[in-house]
Amino acid sequence: MRLYEYEAKELLAEHGIPIPKGFLARSVEEVTSCAERIGNRVVLKAQILSGGRGKAGGILFASSPQEAAEKAKSLLAAKIKGYQVKSVYVEQALDIAKELYIGVTIDRVNYKVVLIGCEEGGVEIEEIARRSPERIVKFSREIDEPFFSHDGVAFAKQIGFSGKALQTVAKISKAAVNIFYSYDAKLVEVNPLAQLQDGSLVAADARISIDEDALFRQGQLQKLGVENRHEEGEMTGREKQAREASIPYLDLDGDIGMFPGGAGFGIAGNDLIIDLGGQPANFMDSGGGPSPERIAKMLMLLEENPRVKAIFGARFGGVSRCDDFAKGVILFLKTGKLTKPIAMRMTGNMWEEGLRIFEEERKQNPHLFDKIEIFGIETPIAYVAKRAVELARAEERKTD
Amino acid sequence: MAILVTKRSRVVVQGITGKSGDFHTSQMLKCRTNIVAGTSPGKGGTTVNGIPVYDTVRECVERHQADVSVLFLPARFVLDSTVEAIRAGIKLVVVVPEHIPIHDMIRIRKYAKAHGTMVIGGNTAGIISPDEANVGIIPPIAFKKGRVGSVSRSGSMTYYVADTLTRSGYGESTCVGLGGDPILGSTFAEILPLFDKDPETDAVILVGEIGGVYEESAAPTIRQIRKPILAIVGGRYAPVGKRMGHAGAIIEGEMGTAQTKLNALEEAGAYPVMNLSDIPKVLQELIGPPKG
Repeated sequence: MRLYEYEAKELLAEHGIPIPKGFLARSVEEVTSCAERIGNRVVLKAQILSGGRGKAGGILFASSPQEAAEKAKSLLAAKIKGYQVKSVYVEQALDIAKELYIGVTIDRVNYKVVLIGCEEGGVEIEEIARRSPERIVKFSREIDEPFFSHDGVAFAKQIGFSGKALQTVAKISKAAVNIFYSYDAKLVEVNPLAQLQDGSLVAADARISIDEDALFRQGQLQKLGVENRHEEGEMTGREKQAREASIPYLDLDGDIGMFPGGAGFGIAGNDLIIDLGGQPANFMDSGGGPSPERIAKMLMLLEENPRVKAIFGARFGGVSRCDDFAKGVILFLKTGKLTKPIAMRMTGNMWEEGLRIFEEERKQNPHLFDKIEIFGIETPIAYVAKRAVELARAEERKTD
Repeated sequence: MAILVTKRSRVVVQGITGKSGDFHTSQMLKCRTNIVAGTSPGKGGTTVNGIPVYDTVRECVERHQADVSVLFLPARFVLDSTVEAIRAGIKLVVVVPEHIPIHDMIRIRKYAKAHGTMVIGGNTAGIISPDEANVGIIPPIAFKKGRVGSVSRSGSMTYYVADTLTRSGYGESTCVGLGGDPILGSTFAEILPLFDKDPETDAVILVGEIGGVYEESAAPTIRQIRKPILAIVGGRYAPVGKRMGHAGAIIEGEMGTAQTKLNALEEAGAYPVMNLSDIPKVLQELIGPPKG
């Protein structure tokens, strides 16, 4: 997940990369006092987890604390790229002569760590990469291969630097590699790295993205609360609720609640539903051997989602066993909260036991199964998906 | 003959005493997988499901000539345990746990390449060659020995593809789950040539999904493969994926959507298939009806 700009810049500064003077503000009053502390012209930058802020009106300049206050008032009330602005980073405005690019990331095809540099940066960098790739300098390295100061010098020289700037770029590139390893990053990007009129270099903007799967060994980052973030944007309320229950879940726009097993069929199942004329209300993955409690929670999420008209379930028990699945479904049915029709298919590991658990419960409490249709291996999955689409359409007609 | 795992594979289960390791060992044994040993440091000398437990993988190799390992351990131990298996001389490591740190996966890949070991996963359901061996967590219910192979990034799609192949009478030679994690120990490009050489495989189903670049990067390999490859890619209606900043675009260019993947695969000579239910029809055209 991605760090906010102010968090990323803090890491850069800790590793010796020069950043402009700046402070985080959460209210108009705080913005005013930050602007006063900085003096001169300031830039107000909306702190959202998305790129392209400038073009979307998320970056504003102000020549006085009064002007900063006025602009902060509108910025803090705004939604930029769909995200509510909750804080503003107030930074000294820079007198930029030239914008450069430095980034460190993973080359997934070749399994290498790559340092990327270009003497031009900013938002045009992708265009340069497309049009004149020869201008992009790439240093590909084996993982854990030491990155020495002389590597940084060679890198800066190849980009086209000399003199004092060469030394600074060498230092910054080494620091960027250092951050990449220290924080289990997927991406460390200083863009633009600004060269000012006096020749000095500062990180005008930064993007750092952390591997969520390595957070267990990143104590410092855990404290930032980064686990509630997507790569772009914060999670919705329901997504956070799901996350707390360790359920991968995304809200979508449709009306069919998706209750699949496994992320792969989670994705392909959504395609299937759309091909059959339906629209999924969510993406969900229950993989990884969920407990009956977690299965019940998954269904509760869909029941409580007002968009959902019908639920499509698909369980192919691998590490997630059908007996646990059946217990979880029954646990949910016993809450008596189900109002939506379910069509689901269950097969895979322990399917006989799963079926037996359902049948036993059905004998004792037949009414629990009024709204749920359960299919097995004898029924193709496409038929069950079609049934879910029909159920959703029938519900729609009821409410019309 | 099948690929990667057969009757002759000698399997060690790393983490055999855990709840998941214990349960899935019993399931793999039901499929007559030749499990020769398990490991659990500190529990050497005991048995699980009748299988002897050792403290180290090296003992399993020395005493039982183990050559395949399957991991049932938390993600944070995967780097350590995979390197242990590679050092002990294991030639194929199947990494079932998910969410392996990306940097660790790249370390594993580097180590494996240097020692000539193949690592599958993480987050793989495993590898099954019906009637021969089942290494991982694949429920055997939908699988039946046959002459079509599959290689997929998703466990659940592996099951649904097999369900379709079995139902239509084609059956499967071997089904390989590459795993769902973003960085994988092995990719399509490394598995497809094995199927091409296997005399018991007539065609291969490649199952990809949005994200990553492993489908696109398989294109040059697909051009070299003589057997027909059917390609299905999940996420055709998914919103455009979020890129890894500008750096992602610089390195990977226009890749990663279901459409770029389908285009790259089709251009390389694979036959695109939109839904599972279309597979039998396309197979019929390419390799004829199922051989009874």
